[in-house]
Amino acid sequence: MRSIESAPVELRDIGHAYGTGELARPVLRDVNLSVGPGEIVLLTGPSGSGKTTLLTLIGALRAVQQGSATVLGQQLAGAGEKQRVALRRRIGFIFQQHNLLGFLSARQNVAMALEMDGRTSERERLERAGAMLESVGIGDRAESMPANLSGGQRQRVAVARALAGNPGLILADEPTAALDKQSGGEVVRLLRELAKRQGVPILLVTHDPRILDIADRIVAMEDGRITATEAGASAAG
Amino acid sequence: MNTITTRAPGAPPPDDHRLLPWAPERTGEHTRPPSWEAPPRERRAPPFQPLRFLALPLRLAWRQLRAEKARLASAIAGVMFACVLVFMQLGFRSALFDSATALIQNMRADVFLMHPLTTASFKPETFPRARASQALALPDVQAAVPVYLAQASWRNPENGSKRAVQLIGFDTEAGVMDFPGLAPLVDTLKRADTVAFDARSRPEFGDMTRLLKERGPFEVQIGNRMMEVTGLIEIGPSFGADGNVVLSEVNFRRLIKERQVSAVDLVAIKLKPGADLEATKRRLAELLPRDVVVLSQAELVKWERDYWEQATPIGFIFAFGSLMGLVVGMVIVYQILFSDISGHLREYATLKAMGYTNFFLSRAVLSAALILAVLGFLPGLGLSWLLYNQVGQATFLPLNMTADRATTVFLLIFAMCGLAGLLAMRKLRDADPADMF
Ligand SMILES: Nc1ncnc2c1ncn2[C@@H]1O[C@H](COP(=O)(O)OP(=O)(O)O)[C@@H](O)[C@H]1O
Ligand SMILES: [Mg+2]
Repeated sequence: MRSIESAPVELRDIGHAYGTGELARPVLRDVNLSVGPGEIVLLTGPSGSGKTTLLTLIGALRAVQQGSATVLGQQLAGAGEKQRVALRRRIGFIFQQHNLLGFLSARQNVAMALEMDGRTSERERLERAGAMLESVGIGDRAESMPANLSGGQRQRVAVARALAGNPGLILADEPTAALDKQSGGEVVRLLRELAKRQGVPILLVTHDPRILDIADRIVAMEDGRITATEAGASAAG
Repeated sequence: MNTITTRAPGAPPPDDHRLLPWAPERTGEHTRPPSWEAPPRERRAPPFQPLRFLALPLRLAWRQLRAEKARLASAIAGVMFACVLVFMQLGFRSALFDSATALIQNMRADVFLMHPLTTASFKPETFPRARASQALALPDVQAAVPVYLAQASWRNPENGSKRAVQLIGFDTEAGVMDFPGLAPLVDTLKRADTVAFDARSRPEFGDMTRLLKERGPFEVQIGNRMMEVTGLIEIGPSFGADGNVVLSEVNFRRLIKERQVSAVDLVAIKLKPGADLEATKRRLAELLPRDVVVLSQAELVKWERDYWEQATPIGFIFAFGSLMGLVVGMVIVYQILFSDISGHLREYATLKAMGYTNFFLSRAVLSAALILAVLGFLPGLGLSWLLYNQVGQATFLPLNMTADRATTVFLLIFAMCGLAGLLAMRKLRDADPADMF
């Protein structure tokens, strides 16, 4: 029996605090959020409102303290390190910095996302990495080292890397923050287009008002709480 | 529905008896349909592939090392340095012990008698000459000759300088004890005041090989007497003696007049063909008084070697030197690996966020260490080989590159780099993917 309607991300009453005992400082309170299949959700809010913390919880990079978080069918409350590592392999991450390995070419960097998968051969991995770079529009720079690429090109490599492993979910935290206006816009539109094509849901944190139009839904956070949810421009169109 | 609940107590276990008590199949949890269908791509874990398990981290490590040429070069230089240091220490150690025993090693006889308090050949305790004739009582003993050891000053025939030389006096005709090159000289050594000189003595004694070739037998001053050098044998310098002279017992007595004939330093014994060495040694030990020990030649060499190893700090000095080399090498490798990790914490954390395990990255760090071990060892081996030849020629020490020693040093270097890798690996914990966003 296939439950297509079950959401890739399902958060129930998530709470999180940094520090322990007297010093414990809550940064997330009663967060309820779900991301549907193929849905693109933007998370905005002032700095310090807990967006990044929420993303690290969903991405299984941090242990869930309170509430329940089901991501791609995996309950993260009480999940062990092994289960969390396994889940991370099914999530594509895009960071503020590209975080590419400087000693690997663009193609090799993308192939790193596939090397954990024991069923592919080296040739298949490099071919797929090449195809991914084609689809982000820098197929001709596949053999370049990151140092020889522009900021926008590097972030495209990061997008290709995040998508290469056929992830069930993309998590991105301010992916355009380090880019100029134009290349930032190009990168997120590319991301949106590819994700839509593969049917991958995206949860993307941003401050950038110029890219709000890519969202199906925009969620606003303030002081650890979700304060508003509105349909994005793209959902209307 | 659930086998557990319907099964009567004491009934035979159901099909799933191999499951642990808390397995979901037992508790019935798996009867719930999964709430999330994994993506269409099959997610079953691939079978274990040992080659991938080692090759992928190794390749990652190599690519990272290769990217920074200067750092790689300094790491290799560090390992090479440690390697050469250990090779030289072990080489010197073994050469010194070998040369310490050069005299004994070249005294070829079946069995020796020696005073139990003799620690090294250059300071022997004497014992009664009668032991030699007593040994002849055994039917398996063919001959037994007393050996006299002494040092005397040798005057260099080329420049007149004096230097102490080791004298070995025994019945050279008896054929009991042999030295390399002695056999053809037996007849000439019968003549009065003749000696055979060790061609491998240090050069300070004069170039006898050349002089003999130019002039034929000629006279040198040993002690207060002029002796005729009639030929060359091969022994080599040892700790106690820079040069050696072999002469007949009679000539020894003429040269060292103060020496009592009845007190000997060693007795060399030749056994009859087919005699059992061990059995004869046992019987000799029973027969003779406690003022002698009975040793085969190998045991005599070991006796001497043990003295240098145990009674002197020589062994410790070289072990310490080797250890220092390894420690310095380890610190260098550790530094390189550590700074490689701390300089790439974000990248390592990214890999962890992508689903790489700490274990995978640990293997990469260890691979890097072992790559450095191999890359440093090979030039280190070559350089040490060159140094062995150069230093060996300059010091007259027998420095030889043996497969055994190369293997030992490689294992030491491998362990050194491995330990550095294990220490550096701890830094990987600082690469926390939660801090990535
Ligand atoms: N590792 C951490 N340890 C302690 N406090 C943290 C840590 N990370 C974030 N915080 C604090 O938690 C709050 C929420 O941070 P964050 O989730 O990064 O917000 P945002 O991404 O919306 O700016 C901030 O006040 C921040 O100072
Ligand atoms: Mg943030």
